[in-house]
Amino acid sequence: MLKKSILSIAALVMIVSLLAGCGGGKDSTAGGSAGDIKVGVLFSLSGSLAVTEKGMANAALLAIEEINAAGGINGRSISAVQEDYASEPSGAATKAKKLLQQDKVAAIVGGYTSASRQAMLPIVEQANGVLVYPTFYEGQEYSKNIIYTGATPNQQLQEFVPWLMDNVGKKVYFIGSDYVYPVETNKQVKELLKLNGGEVVGEEYVPLGQSEFASVINKIKEAAPDVIFSDLVGDSVAAFYKQYKSYGLDPAVMPIASPVTAESEVVSMGADVAAGHISSSAYFQTVDTPENAKFVEAYRAKYGENEPITQVIEATYFSTLLLAEALKKAEDVTDAEAVIGAFAGLEMKAPQGTVKIDPENNHAWLNSRIGKVGADGQFEIVQSTSEPIYPEPWAKILYPEHEKPWKK
Amino acid sequence: MGIMQQVADGISVAGILVIIALGLGITFGVMKIINMAHGELIMIGAYVTYLVCTEGKMPFVLGMIVSFLVTALVGLLLERFVLRRLYGRPLETLLATFGISLFLQQLIRMLFGPDGKSVVSPFQGVLMIGEVAAPYFRLFIVAIAIVMVLTTAYVMHKTKFGIQLRSVSQNRDMCECLGINTSKVDAYTFGFGAGLAGLAGSILAPIKSVSPTMGLDYLIDSFMVVVLGGVGSLMGTLFGSAAMGESNQLLTTFMGETGAKIVVFLLIILVIRFKPEGLFRMERR
Repeated sequence: MLKKSILSIAALVMIVSLLAGCGGGKDSTAGGSAGDIKVGVLFSLSGSLAVTEKGMANAALLAIEEINAAGGINGRSISAVQEDYASEPSGAATKAKKLLQQDKVAAIVGGYTSASRQAMLPIVEQANGVLVYPTFYEGQEYSKNIIYTGATPNQQLQEFVPWLMDNVGKKVYFIGSDYVYPVETNKQVKELLKLNGGEVVGEEYVPLGQSEFASVINKIKEAAPDVIFSDLVGDSVAAFYKQYKSYGLDPAVMPIASPVTAESEVVSMGADVAAGHISSSAYFQTVDTPENAKFVEAYRAKYGENEPITQVIEATYFSTLLLAEALKKAEDVTDAEAVIGAFAGLEMKAPQGTVKIDPENNHAWLNSRIGKVGADGQFEIVQSTSEPIYPEPWAKILYPEHEKPWKK
Repeated sequence: MGIMQQVADGISVAGILVIIALGLGITFGVMKIINMAHGELIMIGAYVTYLVCTEGKMPFVLGMIVSFLVTALVGLLLERFVLRRLYGRPLETLLATFGISLFLQQLIRMLFGPDGKSVVSPFQGVLMIGEVAAPYFRLFIVAIAIVMVLTTAYVMHKTKFGIQLRSVSQNRDMCECLGINTSKVDAYTFGFGAGLAGLAGSILAPIKSVSPTMGLDYLIDSFMVVVLGGVGSLMGTLFGSAAMGESNQLLTTFMGETGAKIVVFLLIILVIRFKPEGLFRMERR
């Protein structure tokens, strides 16, 4: 009996020490010397969101490598402090606190879901740090400590919806995952439909993770829309597209249009299933700019030939480069206001084309593209804006009277 | 109105539920192991099919067979090294299998990367019966579900292994007295249940997602089917699936997917409240 309890105590001690090891051992600080500027790279490398966030972390590290190779920040190189928040929003808050208070990073590049950003927001504001958030999101937020480099809904939709009306058809059926992003996005799409003479013939939200769509597809067939507007996310995306095909529906007649479905989702459903469907994004891997050719080549050389490169990966990459520019411009890199101030109006040629940070609302002016999946599983770009689009965290068509928090 | 279509699709959804719940019906229903890693066994089956059919370009049938064998082997190993030590301790089993499910998820993520994988459907096209559209692949799923139930019934009731399995689950001590090697029966039973889960993953790979996180959805559905139908009864699993599939499908006609799911959950709670043994109770002495 005694022996048994000793054993179990020993086991417990081992487990605890293992856990402790996991908690603190992820630093990949490359022995940063005193002169280095520290930048936090905070994405999920484990858990369900690692699917997407691994690629984002890779992009940030690639950018930092390039910055250092080109001479760093006024002679000082950047050392990346990488942390893993394991797909838990609360973990994002803890790790952000650690990066800001313990490592004293100049800025954090990180966050993917809105939940992770909202968990970090109070921490970053309290510690007066800088967070660069590179994911497209539902908008309706502004923080003086956050630079938002992902698309707001208006940037993804204001070109997309009229294009769908003109080129595909006016009757729209909505299918989305049941949470804030699809509901907010669809609100805006509906306003745009009204302005462009479109019509909603059905709307359905399914629980996150749902993978059975027989019933939804029946309803869609009965409603006979011209286009299905999908903001499904996660595992539901591949399941829905696959079952759409197995019911014999034809993308030439009734394509699925989505602001979410990107290169990595296409890989998970297979090119034969995805071919003919339409997506809107600031960036596709097929964008034809010299910056993109260079980026795709460098990314592939470092992380593998078959890695899909999506808009969030590209956004993380150019955001990190922009951060370097801001750090160069800022008089004191430890002063958050100086760094954020240096971001204002900053412009660069990103892989997606020209982007710039709006001097007032901390969001980025981005491009808008519409792509149709070809037989090879890559997006063929059918329309592209010539100029970047103004970011509207509070879309003008939905909230014309909303007071602008950055004017306070 | 497409009520007939909804009924037809309800049958195919029921078929999917039968396929995913059958393995659990054996490991949970017969062996009383609360196997939280059931969904991950399904996932392993799906990934094996991806390797065989997409990477190896072999026919789909081969993918099904290899999935069954590989997952059965994984099941045997789990039984041999973990579960065997935990029989009769449901709480510890639950924790251990939950741990295994996380382990398997992360293992698959490390081996194959976090992105989803695609498996091409072996059947394209749709059969039109009047107004009702039945994709060939869904018909195939229903056929496979029937074959799986019949085969399992045959194994359980007509083979020596099946008779031993059922007698061990009813009275282990007496079986040991009569000279049945109960630990061997346990191992094979769990292996068989796990193999069925792998087969399920293989069959569903072409119409569902194949990703490290795919297991959770299936775990919940299959536990509900088994509990609703009645623990330990093959017929229960069959009727549990039919009841859940059809009610879910028909309810979505009147309310959304989320609403239908809530109502189905409520109905199951009611059934369990008034018939705690499920719809089909196995008579025991």
